[in-house]
Amino acid sequence: MADKEKNNYVSKDKLGKNFTHKKQIVKNNEVKDNKEMKEKNTSSKDIILSIKNASYRYSDAEENDYALRNVSFDFESGKIYAIRGRSGTGKTTLLSLISGLERCTEGEIIFDGKSLKDRNLDKYRNSDIGIVFQSYNLLPFMTASENIILSMDANGLKLKNKKEKAIELMEKVGLKETYADRKVLRLSGGEQQRVAIARSLSYNPKMIIADEPTGNLDKQTETEILEIFEKLAHEEKKCVIIVTHSQNVCDAVDVIYDLKKVAK
Amino acid sequence: MFILKNAWISIKRNKGRNILIGIIILIIACACTITLAIKNTAVDLIDSYKNAYDKEVTISFDRSNMMKDFDPSQSEGRENAREKFDNIASYTISDVLSFADSEYIESYYYTYGVGLNGNNIEKAEIESNNNMPNGFGHGKENNISSTDFTLTGYSSLDAMSEFINGTYTMNEITENAWDIAFDGNYVFINQELADYNNLNLNDKIVLEDEEGNTYEFEIIGIFKENEEGNGEPMSMFSNSANTLVTNASAVTSITTSNEDLQATINPTFIIDSYDNVEKLQDEFYEKGLDENFVLQTNEEIALSGVSSIENINSFATTFLVITLIIGGIVLFVINMINIRERKYEIGVLRTIGISKVKLTMQFVSELVIVSVVALVLGAGIGAVSSKGVSNSLLESEINSSNERTEEIGKNFGGPNGNEGMPDRGNRDEMRGKGMPVVQAYDSIDAVVDMKVLLELLGIGLSLVLVSSIASMVSIQRFSPLTILKERS
Ligand SMILES: Nc1ncnc2c1ncn2[C@@H]1O[C@H](COP(=O)(O)OP(=O)(O)OP(=O)(O)O)[C@@H](O)[C@H]1O
Ligand SMILES: [Mg+2]
Repeated sequence: MADKEKNNYVSKDKLGKNFTHKKQIVKNNEVKDNKEMKEKNTSSKDIILSIKNASYRYSDAEENDYALRNVSFDFESGKIYAIRGRSGTGKTTLLSLISGLERCTEGEIIFDGKSLKDRNLDKYRNSDIGIVFQSYNLLPFMTASENIILSMDANGLKLKNKKEKAIELMEKVGLKETYADRKVLRLSGGEQQRVAIARSLSYNPKMIIADEPTGNLDKQTETEILEIFEKLAHEEKKCVIIVTHSQNVCDAVDVIYDLKKVAK
Repeated sequence: MFILKNAWISIKRNKGRNILIGIIILIIACACTITLAIKNTAVDLIDSYKNAYDKEVTISFDRSNMMKDFDPSQSEGRENAREKFDNIASYTISDVLSFADSEYIESYYYTYGVGLNGNNIEKAEIESNNNMPNGFGHGKENNISSTDFTLTGYSSLDAMSEFINGTYTMNEITENAWDIAFDGNYVFINQELADYNNLNLNDKIVLEDEEGNTYEFEIIGIFKENEEGNGEPMSMFSNSANTLVTNASAVTSITTSNEDLQATINPTFIIDSYDNVEKLQDEFYEKGLDENFVLQTNEEIALSGVSSIENINSFATTFLVITLIIGGIVLFVINMINIRERKYEIGVLRTIGISKVKLTMQFVSELVIVSVVALVLGAGIGAVSSKGVSNSLLESEINSSNERTEEIGKNFGGPNGNEGMPDRGNRDEMRGKGMPVVQAYDSIDAVVDMKVLLELLGIGLSLVLVSSIASMVSIQRFSPLTILKERS
């Protein structure tokens, strides 16, 4: 890639207006080549999640038919990342590994200094990370606030007025209080995605993972939602990882990781 | 607990399905309550029927054993048989006492018979008639038949089997008869003998043995024999016309005062279990019982009355099992459909970090809440209807048991069924008072009691859990990611 600037990788100018121009783009196979240099950097960085040589093969796939092969990425707190790649390169698969919905076939993923292998993945999902899907994945028979409260319950959050907190979160992602008691099926796609983001924030996780969160939305809405993610990363120092096809999204993030199709 | 909250929300959301599940469980619960009530009643009836009979063992002569050694068609063989027959050692009262001293025997009673002649009374007979009186025991008929009367002493009320089984029934009885019947020289005599000699209650009769010793007895009751085709066809008198019924100690005092008198003893042993009869028989042989005698039990008679109840009981069991199988299959299918339809929900709940265990708990709680409500309702409806259903099914058994008790009371001289008898109650206590007590069924109503309810709850909940196992397993195996992908 022409605009690949390895030296800017260590840029501390995270909050600068021009961070998008100093963006770093890394391909999964190249990271391996620069392993030494990377490790030198990691020691000084605030790395929250580290994928180490992860490979994944679906249980019903053939012997050598890996959906992911030797992927190594690091993610830092306070940064927003895009994972980019053609269809079928394993982006969703990678996200399911990061979110602990599947376990690596080989290699490992370390979150906050502890391997996912050693973590209770349910606990990990309901307190350490928030997940946002392209198809929102809200429970349609519940209201917006009930969906958010359900997530607080799963976390075990002890809170007197959960509904108040849910409304507060909804306002944070740009939803009026009046939406709180509406069944989610009666919200627009963009509104549903905001509810889903609010849900993922309900227990204040350190990391937000989103799989094509704006895939079904128009450009204007996409921009608004991206602003929410940017705020979360840069102001609340969360690590935000977005899987995307959208150039608009890639323009907005700090680091882009490219996934290439696994050679068969 | 948010699991329960979620379960409750889901129940309300899936009203239709949950009402369907509820109705199925309600029907099962209702059917189960009724069948369990019937089964319980049947088991109670069987128990009380079995308790109504003691486990009795008697000694009887083994004719087949005797016959197999000889060919009766040859006169020589017949001679041998007779000789052999006469040589069989009978058993005496002291043998019986030693037999009774066994760990298998709970109690025993006996009839003790002795042949005597009349002193102030005459034998009821027709001159030409050569009848032998009612014989006792085996091999000793000759001795007794040479006397006019058979004095039969019973050791206790239980021994008076002729009165219990209705062969004899009391016609007249003095007021205090049962208080004194087992202690002293009192007799019950046959109506025919009373008519023949013009005897009444409280009259005294005198008997004598061959050496001329006399024994005086007071009449405290007059009975009659109910002929059921067993009497000698040529006789105008029943077999027991010359039988005098008294107590065993009266006979014992006669036999001790005159040791030459031939007495016959017929013991009945009450044992703890029919399983021990073989061991008991060996023990008797060791104690000197001739091996031509064998032990016989009343097991067949005791069990004959329960077969119809047992049929009802096993029908109820079959019905119960079929109901449970069909109900289980229907619930299983509904559960599987339920889980399939709710895959997406499961996927979402799993991705937001609700563990498999909690999710399973939620689904089980939903089922348990619905089924407990339905079980309680079903048990209520079943309880209301079970009384009628099972009482009418078992009506004849319950009635016949009550009738039987009344009948026995009458045999012993009660004027109106139970009036002459003590109430059915503590048998030993009654026995202690010397009152005739024969226990039959208690009056039993088929009722849904705590036992039935607990059984039902156990059956119901295990049915629910078993039928939901498959769906629980599928929750464990769902991969949330796949489910969510399917959706999008
Ligand atoms: N459940 C599965 N079983 C077997 N193979 C699968 C399964 N899901 C995905 N794959 C395969 O794994 C590879 C990566 O799939 P994945 O869904 O991660 O792609 P993606 O990068 O998210 O694509 P898209 O941009 O179209 O969403 C694909 O080749 C796909 O066929
Ligand atoms: Mg995808």
